[in-house]
Amino acid sequence: MTGLLLQQFVNMATIGAIYALIALGYTMVYGVLRLINFVHSELFMLGAYFCYGLLAFGFGGIGSVGALAVTVAFFAVFALVGFTGVAIERIAYKPLRQATRLAPMLSALGLSLFFQSAVQVLAGPQPIRFPSIFPGTRIMVAGAVITTTQLGIVVLAVALMLLLAAFVARTRLGVLVRAVSESPRTSALLGINVDRAISLIFFIGPGLGGLGGILYASYYGIMYPTMGTIVGLKAFTAAILGGIGSIPGAMLGGFLLGFVEVAGTALLPVLSGGILGTDYRDIFAFIVLVTVLIFRPTGLLGEQISEETMVYKRDY
Amino acid sequence: MASVSVARSGFRAGRVLARALLVGAVLAVLLLMPQAGLYYVRLADDVLIYVLLALGLNLVIGYAGLLDLGFVAFYAVGAYSYALLASPQFGIHLPFLVILPIGAALAACFGILLGIPVLPLRGDYLAIVTLGFGEIIRILLNNMDAVTGGPQGVMMIDVPRLAGYPLISPRGFYWLLLGICIIVGTLVLRLERSILGKAWAAIREDQDAARGIGINTVRVKLAAFAISASIGGLAGVIFASFQRYVSPESFTFNESILIVLIIVIGGVGNILGVITGAIALIVLPELLRGVAEYRMMAFGFVLAALIVLRPEGLVPRSFGPARLARWLFAP
Amino acid sequence: MSFAFDHVTKRFGSVVAIGDVSMEFEPGLIYAIIGPNGAGKSTLVNMAAGSYSVTEGQILLDGRPLQGLKKYQIARAGLARTYQNIRLFDQMTVLENLEVALSPTELRHTWREVLVPPYATRAAARRRAACLQLLEEFGLADMADTHAELLPYGRQRMLEIARALISGPRVLLLDEPAAGLNSGETETLKHRLLRLRRPDRVMIVIEHDMELVMSLSDQIYVLHHGALLFCGSPAEVQANREVQEAYLGTDDDLDSIRELARHRRAGRGLRHETGVVAHHA
Repeated sequence: MTGLLLQQFVNMATIGAIYALIALGYTMVYGVLRLINFVHSELFMLGAYFCYGLLAFGFGGIGSVGALAVTVAFFAVFALVGFTGVAIERIAYKPLRQATRLAPMLSALGLSLFFQSAVQVLAGPQPIRFPSIFPGTRIMVAGAVITTTQLGIVVLAVALMLLLAAFVARTRLGVLVRAVSESPRTSALLGINVDRAISLIFFIGPGLGGLGGILYASYYGIMYPTMGTIVGLKAFTAAILGGIGSIPGAMLGGFLLGFVEVAGTALLPVLSGGILGTDYRDIFAFIVLVTVLIFRPTGLLGEQISEETMVYKRDY
Repeated sequence: MASVSVARSGFRAGRVLARALLVGAVLAVLLLMPQAGLYYVRLADDVLIYVLLALGLNLVIGYAGLLDLGFVAFYAVGAYSYALLASPQFGIHLPFLVILPIGAALAACFGILLGIPVLPLRGDYLAIVTLGFGEIIRILLNNMDAVTGGPQGVMMIDVPRLAGYPLISPRGFYWLLLGICIIVGTLVLRLERSILGKAWAAIREDQDAARGIGINTVRVKLAAFAISASIGGLAGVIFASFQRYVSPESFTFNESILIVLIIVIGGVGNILGVITGAIALIVLPELLRGVAEYRMMAFGFVLAALIVLRPEGLVPRSFGPARLARWLFAP
Repeated sequence: MSFAFDHVTKRFGSVVAIGDVSMEFEPGLIYAIIGPNGAGKSTLVNMAAGSYSVTEGQILLDGRPLQGLKKYQIARAGLARTYQNIRLFDQMTVLENLEVALSPTELRHTWREVLVPPYATRAAARRRAACLQLLEEFGLADMADTHAELLPYGRQRMLEIARALISGPRVLLLDEPAAGLNSGETETLKHRLLRLRRPDRVMIVIEHDMELVMSLSDQIYVLHHGALLFCGSPAEVQANREVQEAYLGTDDDLDSIRELARHRRAGRGLRHETGVVAHHA
């Protein structure tokens, strides 16, 4: 029994860590621009493809990758996806800052279609086997089978999140990011270079999302052009769950969603006497989302905003 | 002086002639469309279905300012209404004209059921919950094999009959769709001008101030949701009767997004914009067939470019049907 | 017909914004609520309109408590307000801004408007006529078809007051109607407001412009630190030393304010120098 629990706990932490990593990108962008960055799910997917490309063509074959190659690929993917994010912001969002809030959201959707189709054309629509980037050993603990891949994912994701938290809390650039998230207009009045802070956010957020893509692909051992859609949706759910705009909220939301999903999937067939199968896994995210929003619309760690203090009168 | 006024009246006559030609051309295209090749008639049917869907969604997005990203759910409710009530699936074979209102009403019920918990939410939360709702409906359709036939969907759907005649060719559907689009378009236009339409606009502009002048915002938003959903349901019934086959494949998130894009690229809150958008976004991929495998890539790129270059849409909100009529018939 | 705050208290957490305030308002009169910034004036308006909940006490309209009612129900009960920072329906025309506020219960008949064209024509004509008349009175008729956001600031203020009036409210709450207006506009505002006096209407004005308050109101309530400091006619308020000190500061401050007042001829209002920031968009 403890073995089973431990097993599920590790499964939950693994998937939760990945969700959290991706949710960070959504929440950071939303915090500054009040924009649901729909292209983020494709940047997540690009992360996996970039990594695969680098390992396969840059380091002479996917089968014989060493730790050094993986590390280099990690940094390279972070930078590549990060710069893609910055470029997207410059081209597709910046011209629309004065337009309605709907416009950048939809240019994001257009780009999302573009990236997905581009990868389909270049790498083919079929799933590609993705190697585990961690040494593949199994550890038996109290009857639970834990792979080093799982451990690696959790450790790496948590380390990245701690790094981000430290960056935002401790460094000058981090203060910049926080100030601009709080109020872009006031920051501009105080002489802060808002554009630079936004670029920074569009570098870090997508960069982390891209790394999330590598972790996800190596966890499930597979990557495909449309892998971003549902995962992106769930990560966004996680961001809302924790309170959109809040960085700790995104982390909490990610793990929580992982927990609900794994627990729900394990329990549902038992509770419903086999009528409802594991096919319903993807519904959990949304049911949790709807429930949380109805009872606590600002998410778990989000700030309460009263209508009288709203900055904007219009939603869309 | 004389020559100037002659020139001016000549110019005016030319303008009247040009407008008469324009109106004539539009009417001719509408009336002669079914004479074109089957490929074009099918394309026209597609455009009209999306015009209908976008008319419905535009009530919520364009008029009431609520971003609904799960509109396809109501489309699915309508489609499955026909699929289940007129097929061998349960051995029920109700006539098309009976299911049409049933599908619309069922979709409206779903709209209200979704709306009650969701409408107090603002902006992005509403968007994301409706998105989630759309996905839930699709997943349910995919998994409730006993009822919906699961991923295989429902096949061998009855041929709809209108006044005893079977409706089976794309040409027949063209007339049906055109008629329904005109009726729905007229009703939507009248709604926009009614006091309810103004209340929607007020909510869109400033929800709190709208409450302050005595508007029951929840009920007014529910009305928008229900009416829009019923139009989606209507489109669904016609879609199912036309395809004679439905499966969850047709009701993905991308479909919802396509309808939102039609509205935004055409011009939010404007019927003329909706029509323009539907024509542009349904015909565009066909034009891109030349670039074969790069088609969707190019489509995505063009979408993003259109939004960045014309964020207010191809037809601005101010150029509505009233302006068009004034422009056409003014001396 | 009566309107009253009955021992009303509002707390935000541990902060007492309004502490046990009672006020009574007679129809047919114009009331002013004054007090330094932070005295709790806007809190009172927001409670009356249903934007804030009342912590203790009651707000009574015709003896019926307003709390527990939704914002729109309070509006339908006959209480209309304007906002400190103008809140119009920007992308609707001036006329539409009034039409939508004219009679919210008409929403029930929408289906008739949609399905019965002659009814729709009649309803539209009736609405238009009623609204145009009020626009005429407010000098806005020439801009009836302009989008509200395109109006100059002073006329936006007027439109907002007209929107509050169109439904024929029994209680009219004006939250700083003169904020941001120049002296000419303030003068026009004063004359319009004086003409809005009706035997069955309570008018309450929250305002910093003392000249306007003194010449407009029949009765003045002075708030200070969330409590009622004084209540009386304009003359009584002007004569009351306590009010002078609370509102304008001590004698020393008063001198400096008199000094500032001399600059008024340069066209800038006293309100600006005393730290009241106009709420320009």
